[in-house]
Amino acid sequence: MAPKASPKSKAAAAKKAALKGVHGKSVRKVRTSTHFHLPKTLRLSRKPKYARKSVPHLPRMDQYRVVRNPLNSETAMKKIEEHNTLTFIVDVKANKHQIKDAVKRLYDVEALKVNTLIRPDGKKKAYVRLTADVDALDVANKIGLI
Amino acid sequence: MVAVKAYELRNKNKAELLKVLDEQKQELASLRVQKVAGGSASKLHQIGLARKNIARTLTVINQTQREQLRLFYQKKKYIPLDLRVKKTRAMRRALTPFERKLKTEKQKKKENHFPLRKYAVKA
Repeated sequence: MAPKASPKSKAAAAKKAALKGVHGKSVRKVRTSTHFHLPKTLRLSRKPKYARKSVPHLPRMDQYRVVRNPLNSETAMKKIEEHNTLTFIVDVKANKHQIKDAVKRLYDVEALKVNTLIRPDGKKKAYVRLTADVDALDVANKIGLI
Repeated sequence: MVAVKAYELRNKNKAELLKVLDEQKQELASLRVQKVAGGSASKLHQIGLARKNIARTLTVINQTQREQLRLFYQKKKYIPLDLRVKKTRAMRRALTPFERKLKTEKQKKKENHFPLRKYAVKA
């Protein structure tokens, strides 16, 4: 603030402000920590202009693919009678959660637990223990196993 | 078991087709159980038929779906990648016919002023 701002100096200041802008002073940021962390930048969400795949696939591991067929060997029959479990040959890529879910959808029974093993011939066998309120023998009859 | 016919399936809508698919899969599952529990030879023969029925249903479902989608995307600029022309990777990246016939101004002028002349010798 000049004590006496002459019109010429005022005009010069106005010209400089118009050309260079008024934000002349640069301020140093206060850094309270010695470490430099990743600055938070703008993250845009996706807005695709077109779907990459025209239509999403039908579920690939549906219950019919997971459970192939039940077993009725002697040991399997023993398991039905004594331990209230059903034995199934199951898809190799199926996991225990999928097996439990598939058995529920197919036969309307709840599984207590599922044990799996892979047979020497490359197929997966699942021992599905049913809850105590269901009888494995009844379910096997209903399926058509016996 | 009846062989499902594709031309009959095409008249159905999507929900009905999915129901048919489900039924066929259930039949196949029951046939597999019968195979284990000692089924007759005729039952074992049905397994092959059931698998083909499932294939037919799935084909009709997918065919009609893609056909409808192609209609939907016909006027649009961006279409999904699996509906685009497949050809080969190199052919997709090659110059378009328009790009191939572009000429420089210089070449256009030359061709204009000095076209290939045809002569004939008078017999």
